[in-house]
Amino acid sequence: MKVVRINDNVSLRYIEMDKLKTTSVSVFIHRPLTDADASYNALLPMVLKSGTELCPDRAAIAKYLDNLYGASMGVATMKCGEDQVMYFDAETISDKYAPEGEPLVADLLRLLMSVLFAPKAAGGAFDEKTTEIEKKNAINKILAFINDKRQYASTRCQQETARGTAFAINRLGDEKRINEITAARLYEYYRSIITSSVIDIYICGSTDIDQAAAAVREYTDKLEFTAAQLPKTDILSRPDGDIHQVKEEMDVAQGKLAMGFITNTRPTDPDYDALVVFNSVFGAGAHSKLFNNVREKLSLAYYAASQLERFKGMIVVNAGIEFENFQKAYDETLVQLEEIRKGNISEHEFTSSKIAIINNYKSFYDDQRAMASTNMMNRVAGNERTVEEMTAAIEKVTVEDVVAVSKKLQLDTSYFLKGKEAE
Amino acid sequence: MELRIRKSEKTGETLYCGKHSSGLRIFIVPKPEYSGSYAIFGTDYGSVESDFIVPGETEVTHVPDGIAHYLEHKMFDQPDGSNVFDKFSKYGGSANAFTSFNITAYLFSATANFEENLATLLDYVQSPYYTDETVQKEQGIIGQEIRMYDDTPGWQLFFNFINCLYNSHPVKKEIAGTVESIAKITPEYLYKCYTTFYNLSNMALVIVGNVDVDSAVKVIEDGIKNNEPFTEPIGRVHPDEAAEIAERYHERKMAVSAPMFMLGWKDNDVPKSGSELLKKNLEITILLRMLFGRGSDIYQKLYNEGLINNTFDTDYTMQKDYAFTTIDGESPDPERVYDTILDEVDKVAKNGLSETDFELAKKVMWGKYIRSHNDIETYASTMLQLQFMDIDYFNFYDVYKTVTFDDVKARFKEHFRRDRSALSVIKPM
Repeated sequence: MKVVRINDNVSLRYIEMDKLKTTSVSVFIHRPLTDADASYNALLPMVLKSGTELCPDRAAIAKYLDNLYGASMGVATMKCGEDQVMYFDAETISDKYAPEGEPLVADLLRLLMSVLFAPKAAGGAFDEKTTEIEKKNAINKILAFINDKRQYASTRCQQETARGTAFAINRLGDEKRINEITAARLYEYYRSIITSSVIDIYICGSTDIDQAAAAVREYTDKLEFTAAQLPKTDILSRPDGDIHQVKEEMDVAQGKLAMGFITNTRPTDPDYDALVVFNSVFGAGAHSKLFNNVREKLSLAYYAASQLERFKGMIVVNAGIEFENFQKAYDETLVQLEEIRKGNISEHEFTSSKIAIINNYKSFYDDQRAMASTNMMNRVAGNERTVEEMTAAIEKVTVEDVVAVSKKLQLDTSYFLKGKEAE
Repeated sequence: MELRIRKSEKTGETLYCGKHSSGLRIFIVPKPEYSGSYAIFGTDYGSVESDFIVPGETEVTHVPDGIAHYLEHKMFDQPDGSNVFDKFSKYGGSANAFTSFNITAYLFSATANFEENLATLLDYVQSPYYTDETVQKEQGIIGQEIRMYDDTPGWQLFFNFINCLYNSHPVKKEIAGTVESIAKITPEYLYKCYTTFYNLSNMALVIVGNVDVDSAVKVIEDGIKNNEPFTEPIGRVHPDEAAEIAERYHERKMAVSAPMFMLGWKDNDVPKSGSELLKKNLEITILLRMLFGRGSDIYQKLYNEGLINNTFDTDYTMQKDYAFTTIDGESPDPERVYDTILDEVDKVAKNGLSETDFELAKKVMWGKYIRSHNDIETYASTMLQLQFMDIDYFNFYDVYKTVTFDDVKARFKEHFRRDRSALSVIKPM
């Protein structure tokens, strides 16, 4: 990876990968996750990609991309702990496959820079109509949260486990605040953050990095930047008291159980990699204890899995079950955790877990977006490592390490999404 | 076993392909610079085959709905009581399987021990083992899988849409069956389906990634169990499907945030050869892009009126004996989206398609084709699915270059007919 510092805030990273037939450009803008700004950060990328000085409206942008043999550009707002990240993702087939020798990557980068640094605006405001349309879309996205019940239950459990912290704030913002945003206020916000946030640009594939850096500077040289830092997240610690119990009802055919555990382990801690292996043994894959017991042995669920949220230090278990099987699945999850704590981890479970993690890490080498986002997330976690280093760290983990880290886990939240008729 | 070597100048890809004496078709695309490798072993058999005639027999065999999917789950149990996932785990293979309307496939990806993983894949897919007890055990798990789909709005929307288009074609039926239908599944039914559809002459193996062709071939030759290829085709009994649609409109209420719609057109044209199918696919995909792509007038009109949002998408599903286009998304007013789209299509019919739009959409198709070689998993499963339709993906360019504006104009008239269109809607409770 080659790093070019454009200025204090903006950096360009180039990961050469010409075995793929495409080149991708990803941009991440980092902002602290706060109640006041979350809605702005959710809406802003959607407005930015609707019109620029280069392509004045959505139709023009779509045609521009089609002309690059169907290049793609998308935006999203995600969160890495309490770092709310505006994400711009674009991809084109690499220049070497351009039938007429067109400079596809340079053209795509120009569009993306224009989206970021030269959006369409007039009189100190974004386009009124565009802003209103995108506000509606942003609100629809917030409301659409309930549509995917598995995701819903798991995210709700995360929020409940992190109750009272910034992590519980919805990365998509909230309806009321979005409604209050105007085209002028959003533009003002944009002007204030574009020069005062860490901005990472990744190009992955094949390009001339010096030319790319020059193309970025063409836009950034016109602006004045004030130095910014990556937002940091601290892990949860368990408050005294009983398990936090949450029950919700919806018109659903299947119940969703979720259990939020606090890991007491930072992504920078020496036992973090043991936690990753623990999570795999516990519930990440067909070799795991949850899969083999909750699903295969007891036939309670089609899926039963655990998921690590490293930034905030939590693991959420989730399973889709018959309403009346809540207690059975809940108890079995705790039984399996206890098994790990007692050191009852088979050779097979242990090596399969490590191999599965390493296999996954190595697959990043064939995936441009994964290479970019892995580097970005490691940096946010304060633990920048190469995929080789990540792999080596997993290889070093022992069964004892896993047992030790499992003992640090504390159950915090029990969440159940059940049907309206059921009781 | 001799494999034929084919090279594509346009993409730089190399394909090794051939047929084993068992009838198994083999395709290997080595990508030595990749870190991962992927293999998919599939049968030309999916949820639509509930009635069939075994080669050599005369009577139709009828089996319960959802059996192809059930069989897929049960392939993971081994005669020695072991679980296949465990074997893959040992070699670091990440294994999975899926069942669709027309295909059942078993696959793995790995970044090490490719040969061991491949041997495991070949072995377990050729080792059926079903007992009353193991079959019984799966009822609970698949029951929960069905429940999960019951709560998945996009899935419900899709099935209701297909049920609008089709009167009697088995594509109407849920892939996993129903809790009632799977209760009727027995080891005997499973064996009957297995010996019919898992005959290697009905199967194919596709490998893409960091593999050594010679050692892969050796593993394949050693791993293929005795198999007499069928000399006549399996009789696939599907009821005659009327050209007309079954229903214009279907609505259902679910716990969703906003109304969701899926509309589209039934495609009754059944080309004879693989290249004709590919050509039809290109024509329709180009048309969907011209008419409803993000740069199109219709898209902009709907978007600016707030009738659709970013979730708007188009797709074309194509098999040998059925096909349909779909347009789906969220909308405050699905009926108005449907009416607007049909009216706008009528206008295009009157005013004509734009040749510039055609050239642009065709360009996009080329980019899509180039891009499709990136991800080894998508690449391999696309090859598998296409070759069951006798489509030669390596020959894409030869078909692509023959698609003319006139072809697309003719296809437009043939496909986008008002009386072949339907609308499925999911509304919030």
